[in-house]
Amino acid sequence: MKFGIFYEISVPRPWSRETEKRVFDNCLEQVALADELGFDSVWCVEHHFLEEYSHCSAPEIFLTACAMKTKKMRIGHGIVICVPEFNHPIKIAERTATMDIISGGRLEVGTGRSATWNELGGFRANPDETKKTWDEFVRCLPKMWTQERFGYQGRSWSMPVRAIIPKPYQKPHPPLWVAVTSPGTEIDAAERGIGALGITFGSFKEQEQKVKVYHNLIKNCEPVGSFVNEQVSTVNFLFTHEDTEIGNKVGRRLLGTFNFLAAQLSAARELYPTRSYPSLGLLPALRDQAAGPGDEAGVPEGIAIGNPDRVLHACKMWESVGVDRINFLLNALETVPQEQVLNSLRVFAKYVMPHFQDSSTQAAAAGGGR
Amino acid sequence: MPRSGRMNVEAYAAQAAREIHGYKTEPWSLKGAQILNLHYEIDNDTIDDLLPVTMRPSIPAWGVFNVTRYPESPVGPFTIGEVRIGSRAGVRPRGFVLRSYVDSDAAVRELAQRWGYPTVRGEIYLRAFHDRVVARVADGSGRNVLDMEMIDREPISGADVQYNSSMHLARNQEDGKLVLVQVDPEWVFHKAERGRPHIISLDSQAWAAGNMLRADYPISATFCTCDVTLGRIRYICDPTKDAFQGTTKVAA
Repeated sequence: MKFGIFYEISVPRPWSRETEKRVFDNCLEQVALADELGFDSVWCVEHHFLEEYSHCSAPEIFLTACAMKTKKMRIGHGIVICVPEFNHPIKIAERTATMDIISGGRLEVGTGRSATWNELGGFRANPDETKKTWDEFVRCLPKMWTQERFGYQGRSWSMPVRAIIPKPYQKPHPPLWVAVTSPGTEIDAAERGIGALGITFGSFKEQEQKVKVYHNLIKNCEPVGSFVNEQVSTVNFLFTHEDTEIGNKVGRRLLGTFNFLAAQLSAARELYPTRSYPSLGLLPALRDQAAGPGDEAGVPEGIAIGNPDRVLHACKMWESVGVDRINFLLNALETVPQEQVLNSLRVFAKYVMPHFQDSSTQAAAAGGGR
Repeated sequence: MPRSGRMNVEAYAAQAAREIHGYKTEPWSLKGAQILNLHYEIDNDTIDDLLPVTMRPSIPAWGVFNVTRYPESPVGPFTIGEVRIGSRAGVRPRGFVLRSYVDSDAAVRELAQRWGYPTVRGEIYLRAFHDRVVARVADGSGRNVLDMEMIDREPISGADVQYNSSMHLARNQEDGKLVLVQVDPEWVFHKAERGRPHIISLDSQAWAAGNMLRADYPISATFCTCDVTLGRIRYICDPTKDAFQGTTKVAA
């Protein structure tokens, strides 16, 4: 089991230049500490127009700063939107290769297609087309990274033969992932031999089944890349504290705030009837997770909130259903003060990480961080 | 902090809200309804003023422009034209109904008294052609207040269509207090189509929205045939309070 941190970059109103800067600075401080503590990766979304919920519209720049602030952590571009109105595939290949070089070969490339009308409408993208363009992009990206010259005549995009440069530092190329939110995308991931990123299902039992399907199917995959990236990652919230009452109270506030914020956005399916979006996407999935039935402390099952024992139990449950890594969301609207976020990371590293054999974090965790 | 509604509910109620007679209506089963539903982005700067504080604007701001013909009902056939504001009550998606024009006096009365719909008498036109579906809503004097169409009809699955529950501001007959009534219809789809939405004209004032309602950007249109059940009222809200604090359960 590996642990990462995951950023939406949520900025509360009123927006001033100082508010925005403070939030970005806080995130970078958390990233630097997480690297010291032995967290495996930092992931960052690409979102546009999602007021307060996510101001992370230029993740490649934020992640480049993360790479500069860290030494060991993997840098997770999670996800880059593979829809031509948002990102031209050539630019994705060029940008990610550059990020891989600058990070010294630490880049992970998550792919996806956006699930909100805010974004699809804003870029005037056709919701019917996004699954198709995603598929085309992920088949092209590895070739663009690895072939000296690349040309393509496709459905949603084409180009004459050119040298797409630079090439990634990792050879043959960075690992590829796809955000799994719509039902069946875990099958898409398996069939293409790429990692399943951020699967959020209703129950552990359901999760176990989906992970099983993924691992079974990927054995006979037709990899889009030069290698198979067989990994399942999930998203969770994290707030832990030695004092149970503080852990539960602050953690519940984090859940509630995220829930409240996410609800205000407009899922593509809510506004645009299309078979392309059979579910409401990640936001309601996380929302349901956050609002699910809780234990006596009012914290939903499987959510990494509370004292270290409870958080350990939640992580062990996810491990038991075949999840390889958990990426944690640490804050929303700055509702958790920065010192408490940093302390929560330290507490997690000290009390929870050492219980996971495969965690790359044990050595650092023993040190307890700064 | 996240935005929420800031409507002057008394001022709105004075022009649009109707009186509801308790919260104990039996359900209505309405077979074979034809529903034309247009989604349009609306003016983001004014949407907060079109919602009570109980509700929060969706982001981006969008409205539902709806005309529904009910060929069968306990009060006979009727057609209704509505504008709803895309919004949230707590974390739940809802449409706040600004006004409901209805072409039957009996339906005007019953929909208001039973569910609190902000009904007013109007004349409604709904007709499907091969290339488009056309709807017009006129007020009691015959003046057009909404003229819209769905162009290029294309069959889809009803499973791809999502309608949201609605909320109406009404005055409770018993104590005279304003209340937000939630109505959760059930829909069984028999046929569904989508197409391009086009609002030809919209009279903001006629929808009790002052000059604040403006259809800015087309999103989608659907035309469906459904069996609709208007169920019992399950929840009401205090329109001066946040939904988390001001919601009351009135039926299971």
